[in-house]
Amino acid sequence: MPQNEHIELHRKRHGYRLDHHEKKRKKESREAHERSHKARKLIGLKAKLYHKQRHAEKIQMKKTIKMHEQRKTKQKNDDKTPEGAVPAYLLDREGQSRAKVLSNMIKQKRKEKAGKWEVPLPKVRAQGETEVLKVIRTGKRQKKAWKRMVTKVCFVGDGFTRKPPKYERFIRPMGLRFKKAHVTHPELKATFCLPILGVKKNPSSPLYTTLGVITKGTVIEVNVSELGLVTQGGKVVWGKYAQVTNNPENDGCINAVLLV
Amino acid sequence: MALYNFKKIMVVPTAKEFIDITLSKTQRKTPTVIHKHYQIHRIRHFYMRKVKFTQQNYHDRLTQILTDFPKLDDIHPFYADLMNVLYDKDHYKLALGQINIAKNLIDNVAKDYVRLMKYGDSLYRCKQLKRAALGRMCTILKRQKSSLEYLEQVRQHLSRLPTIDPNTRTLLLCGYPNVGKSSFINKVTRADVDVQPYAFTTKSLFVGHMDYRYLRWQVVDTPGILDHPLEDRNTIEMQAITALAHLRAAVLYVMDVSEQCGHTLQEQLELFNNIRPLFANKPLIIVANKCDVKKITELSEENQKIFADLSVEGIPVIETSTLTEEGVMQVKTEACDRLLAHRVDTKMKGKKVHDVLNRLHLAMPTKRDEKERPPFIPEGALTRRKAMEVDAPKRKLERDLEMELGDDYILDLQKYWDLMNDDEKQDKIPEVWEGHNIADYIDPDIMKKLQELEKEEELKERAGEYDSDDESEDEEMQEIRVLAKQIREKKQLMVVESKEKDVHGPRMPRTATKVRARTLEKEMGNLGLDMNDKDGSHYAQQARRSRSIAKKRKREASAPPTSKTRSQSASLSIRGELTSNSQKGMNRQGKKGEADRHVFDLKPKHLLAGKRKSGTTDRR
Repeated sequence: MPQNEHIELHRKRHGYRLDHHEKKRKKESREAHERSHKARKLIGLKAKLYHKQRHAEKIQMKKTIKMHEQRKTKQKNDDKTPEGAVPAYLLDREGQSRAKVLSNMIKQKRKEKAGKWEVPLPKVRAQGETEVLKVIRTGKRQKKAWKRMVTKVCFVGDGFTRKPPKYERFIRPMGLRFKKAHVTHPELKATFCLPILGVKKNPSSPLYTTLGVITKGTVIEVNVSELGLVTQGGKVVWGKYAQVTNNPENDGCINAVLLV
Repeated sequence: MALYNFKKIMVVPTAKEFIDITLSKTQRKTPTVIHKHYQIHRIRHFYMRKVKFTQQNYHDRLTQILTDFPKLDDIHPFYADLMNVLYDKDHYKLALGQINIAKNLIDNVAKDYVRLMKYGDSLYRCKQLKRAALGRMCTILKRQKSSLEYLEQVRQHLSRLPTIDPNTRTLLLCGYPNVGKSSFINKVTRADVDVQPYAFTTKSLFVGHMDYRYLRWQVVDTPGILDHPLEDRNTIEMQAITALAHLRAAVLYVMDVSEQCGHTLQEQLELFNNIRPLFANKPLIIVANKCDVKKITELSEENQKIFADLSVEGIPVIETSTLTEEGVMQVKTEACDRLLAHRVDTKMKGKKVHDVLNRLHLAMPTKRDEKERPPFIPEGALTRRKAMEVDAPKRKLERDLEMELGDDYILDLQKYWDLMNDDEKQDKIPEVWEGHNIADYIDPDIMKKLQELEKEEELKERAGEYDSDDESEDEEMQEIRVLAKQIREKKQLMVVESKEKDVHGPRMPRTATKVRARTLEKEMGNLGLDMNDKDGSHYAQQARRSRSIAKKRKREASAPPTSKTRSQSASLSIRGELTSNSQKGMNRQGKKGEADRHVFDLKPKHLLAGKRKSGTTDRR
């Protein structure tokens, strides 16, 4: 019964086949031919995937070759000049490097007063009513068309209870209700899964804001107690705004960027 | 309790391969064509199917990995411990746990996205959702990269572990490195373990099998153990310790008398005392190896005392040399006997033995007289047995000669010939000489002998030795002979007659047609047979039996409603034949009968349906 390292033991005792090394060398040299044959004869989806992968490989190879080449030659080093170095005729002028330190709270208050928000996505495509709300026909002869169903992802609060079904005009299906969002901190470059507190503003229409519809560009408020942010006064920050950056109904998840 | 086969665990693919395989499978095995204008439920179903298919594949493959790999709690503690030593139980369990988590996550993802897809109102939206779902599942798997690599390595190592049965008869070899354990197992079994002069040549457990007393025994070779506390032991030594701890085997502690292994006898004794607790409840034998270099009697006083002490304690010390093979068989028989006795003892003390013992009964025959009846052993057997015991070879065997001469050996059977001149033994014998075949003239007196033989034969014939014995035959035999002659003549006549007969058509054998009872009786009567007892004859009995069966069948089967059939069958039965004359003729000419009915398909659908109908198509 072959036990433990029987292959290595056999090699140690009997050596390799007489043509082993020849065969190995020739097989390795044939690899280039086989690769090119594959690249020429593959068709369909496999060909696309293969070519993409091969393209990436080739880029890497070219980069390393270039790197190796660069080491051998000498080149003018452009960034030896330090920052702030100034030509002779400007030596007398003073460099403007005043820093304005204002507390974050004052900044936010000013912004709110102005009603303008500096957001990562300033302009978004407006979603029309036919896109967001679907007409639901009701009645004995299916003629009444006053009900609407939301087709986009929405947020309803914790204590949300539906109106009696006979009277509710806007239906927000349970399958499209989301509670959490993937929020990226723009400076830390880290993403967290944070619970949503509410929808602040939907750029398409105030109706959507009241309904809680979340589309691309919506500003939502998220619970950032996980991040452990603290104000200058020592108070814990637990709610911050974030802007949605993807189409949640197409991706099945809400990706947002924190507004700092 | 699942039955695990370590050699049949499925290959664990790398994360990248896994993803590639599953995604390409989804692309191949699900429908690929979909258009915007299809109905929305069809579009939804199309994409949901892809998501579910991918999830199913991942789930199946991951479940297979989880079931193939053995659960450490389910296997024998020996293997559980061994796997812990080799692969680290925690790491192993963690890896499998991660795979399990990944499986559950993939299932959840698929469930969520299938739920979302129900609200998809356009092809684009469903497609994006499917893309998101598959992407998420693949990301989950990408994160398992290291677990999958680890499991693949474990699988490869696991499949090469030797299959040691923990419950059968086992001999376990242990001792310092380089004392001769692997040489011992090579001598006793067919296992080919590597033997080298450096320490730790054997790095894991090896198993070999041998036969003794018509039973199969396992011999387990372990890597050498050094003398330090348990915590400091490395993986290789721990394997030996595991084997010692879990296998109920006879332990052969091998010591190097000549101290060629690099450790003095004192050190070896120290180690022995340190691992003594592991030898509890196991038959123990000390094997003093390498005695061809140094015997125990050649040792110093204190070293000899070591062995003396051990023998006093009741542990047999046997000197062996794996080089010259002295004492190896002795060790083997001693160890096997002790282990057998130990196992029998344990079984007797157990509970299961009572079921068997209660059913066994040794029957001794009661003495009928006082005569002594000892067993009879023939003389030849006794002498042979004595010769075997003395172990003296009667003559030099060819095999011995072959071993001696090695490459120069040639098989020469001519030296055993019994010739008058011994120096003629090696002469070449020609086959043909002067046109005569030598083989005919092997005997020089052969012509004379032939003549003598012929004369003898003549004499015998004349004396009448070959004539048949008439007087010894009685009347019955003579009668039988007469009858037999008659029968033979008659047969020949009949053959000639039948050949002359002019038969139109093929010659049917006699058994094809029915023979009437009357013709039979007439013929037999002609031949002279006594035809008085017609009822008791064989053919009458058969006829009666067949008639009764036919009657029974008739009663059981439903009677046809028309009276015509009954009368017809009745009339037929009177005549004694079942096929009417007219039918016979038709049958012979091969014409279509009542039973040969074929329903023709005069309007085949495949020729007359569709756009190319109305008979413009001959074939499709």
